[in-house]
Amino acid sequence: MSLMDSLAAGFALVGNFEAFFMLFVGLVVGVVAGAIPGLSATMAVALTLPFTFAMTPINAILLLLGVYKGGIFGGSIPAILIKTPGTPASSATILDGHPMAERGEAGRALGMALYASCTADAVSNLALILFAGWLASFALNFGPPEFFALILFSLTIIAGVSGESLLRGALSALAGLLLATIGLDLVYGTNRFTFGDPNMMGGLNFIAVLIGLFAIPEIIAMAWNPVAHLGRTRALGKSRCTLADYLGSFKSIIRGSLIGVFLGSIPGIGAAPSAFLSYSEARRTSKNKANFGKGEIEGVAASEAGNNGVAGATLIPLLALGVPGDVITAIIIGAFMVHGLQPGPMMFILNVDIIYGLFIGLIVSSVFLLLVGSVAIRGFKFVADVPKRILMPGVLVLCVYGVFAVNNNIFDVGVMFVMGWVGYIMMRNRIPAAPFLIAFILGPLLEDNFRQSMLMSGSDPSILFRGPITWFFWLLTAITVFAITRSTLRKKVPLS
Amino acid sequence: MSQKSLHLRLGVVASLFALFLVFFAIPNFVFAPSNVGKIVLSPKFWPYVLSGLTALIGLGLVFNALTTASDVPFEDEETGHPEGSAPWMRLGALAVIMVLMMFGLPRLGMVWTAMLAFAACAFLFRTRHPIAALVCAVIVPLLLYVFFAHVAGVAIPQGNFVRLP
Repeated sequence: MSLMDSLAAGFALVGNFEAFFMLFVGLVVGVVAGAIPGLSATMAVALTLPFTFAMTPINAILLLLGVYKGGIFGGSIPAILIKTPGTPASSATILDGHPMAERGEAGRALGMALYASCTADAVSNLALILFAGWLASFALNFGPPEFFALILFSLTIIAGVSGESLLRGALSALAGLLLATIGLDLVYGTNRFTFGDPNMMGGLNFIAVLIGLFAIPEIIAMAWNPVAHLGRTRALGKSRCTLADYLGSFKSIIRGSLIGVFLGSIPGIGAAPSAFLSYSEARRTSKNKANFGKGEIEGVAASEAGNNGVAGATLIPLLALGVPGDVITAIIIGAFMVHGLQPGPMMFILNVDIIYGLFIGLIVSSVFLLLVGSVAIRGFKFVADVPKRILMPGVLVLCVYGVFAVNNNIFDVGVMFVMGWVGYIMMRNRIPAAPFLIAFILGPLLEDNFRQSMLMSGSDPSILFRGPITWFFWLLTAITVFAITRSTLRKKVPLS
Repeated sequence: MSQKSLHLRLGVVASLFALFLVFFAIPNFVFAPSNVGKIVLSPKFWPYVLSGLTALIGLGLVFNALTTASDVPFEDEETGHPEGSAPWMRLGALAVIMVLMMFGLPRLGMVWTAMLAFAACAFLFRTRHPIAALVCAVIVPLLLYVFFAHVAGVAIPQGNFVRLP
């Protein structure tokens, strides 16, 4: 199929009101959820997932991508106004955004955050369109040993999402890998940890585990301390972001976007490091270096460009290799699977219309984000005023309906509650939940490809090193592990 | 709590859990056909590898705790530690609400159970808007029922008492 044929197929799929409406709704939901402290973009994507079951795959994925992109921008609103990042990626935005809000320039900071986000989003989408197809055509040569080496490398994502302690992150990942072994064995069909319960034979439901880990602990935390969320909101002020502000920061925005694209296309690095790297580069090269950290608008532009530049690029490994770039794309992989799609190189052959439909939708999403973001900035007061002690019971009810709807099975609701308490215990013990979820998704793929390789070779492990592709991924894994170990040992506290 | 004590605790728990898996859970709850020739193809191989790695990480955490000199407590902003027994009672009450929901879903139906759970949670969280909470407790489950039952075509449990259209 030629490029024009693929584009035409994509247009045929998304060239209707419903598809763009879903994208728009997704952006609205994402921006609102990102703007409410405590409701992260991850949680928003997880909670939206059950609503997509009855939709066509393209509408469902566009809705979720809208929530993802909206959530990343939405997180900057509370970061600037109340010094509480709605998402971890917005942490760098606080550095200059909040000082600007304190001197009455919140409107200007939010405007710059929006324009930088939209620009970076467009650059990131362009990178996705240019590189995903190329990477997928390369990945068509992969067999089980190559996929095993790739997934093993992808598990180094865990270092990126482990937060303050690599050991706790690794423990979380191992718990996820162990939980993924529940169900019938992939090769022999024998029971593993099913305790004779037919509900467990297919393994634990991904969405129940996901919502249990990311949404329920927030509700339990609310029971522990119902007043922890109370804070002070800043007014927008009268100043607005001007064209001169935008052009003055344009170089930092483009540089931040490219940093975001580069780091986002590597699984596991995520938006927060990209935002900080973009910020530090802008600071290093800026004429107003001394103002950084005190309310410099270029700092807001750089950090927002850095974190939004990641949003499209994380979809490169997702679409081309079937490997999540971060925790939100891990959830989106689950959405693909729910709709009978398997992201990876074969998708570029079997579902090329969906791939190009997504590309078209993503280009439009940058424009929609500009519209939705402009309104959201003005409407933040109403979003921030939603009483959280009413919101959280609503989230609980939504979780119950959503998880039940996956398989029409009350057992899944029980799994969600149990995972919620597990997630809460992890939260209290500072064990990050993201490595758990990523390992839970990648675990069966890793084991499946390993055992297929062993079957192919008659249990000869040398097949795992059979050619340049496997060597490449083994080398990448070794370099990453070396870099992680070195950076960890450089800290004062060993391996923590 | 300090990182030292947290790592010591987690390390001991992880190591004990790994021992439990290796010596009890895997032999008793993972079944392998008797004709599996090579250990790497056995359904038990992967769980054993993961248990071994869990034990290693557990020992790593213990080692880290024992070699860390400083015992500085974490700045505990996220979870917060309100004083007294009330937080524990609220946690217990929320657990009871969840258990009752599991019992109520097939008997009362999802909508009625969700309404009761919503109201109970709102009051458990000491809402300052009780009227709004009650209104939301009725409206939110009904709206979700309309969406999931009539738009998404999900067979929402109706219970044994009052059935919705």
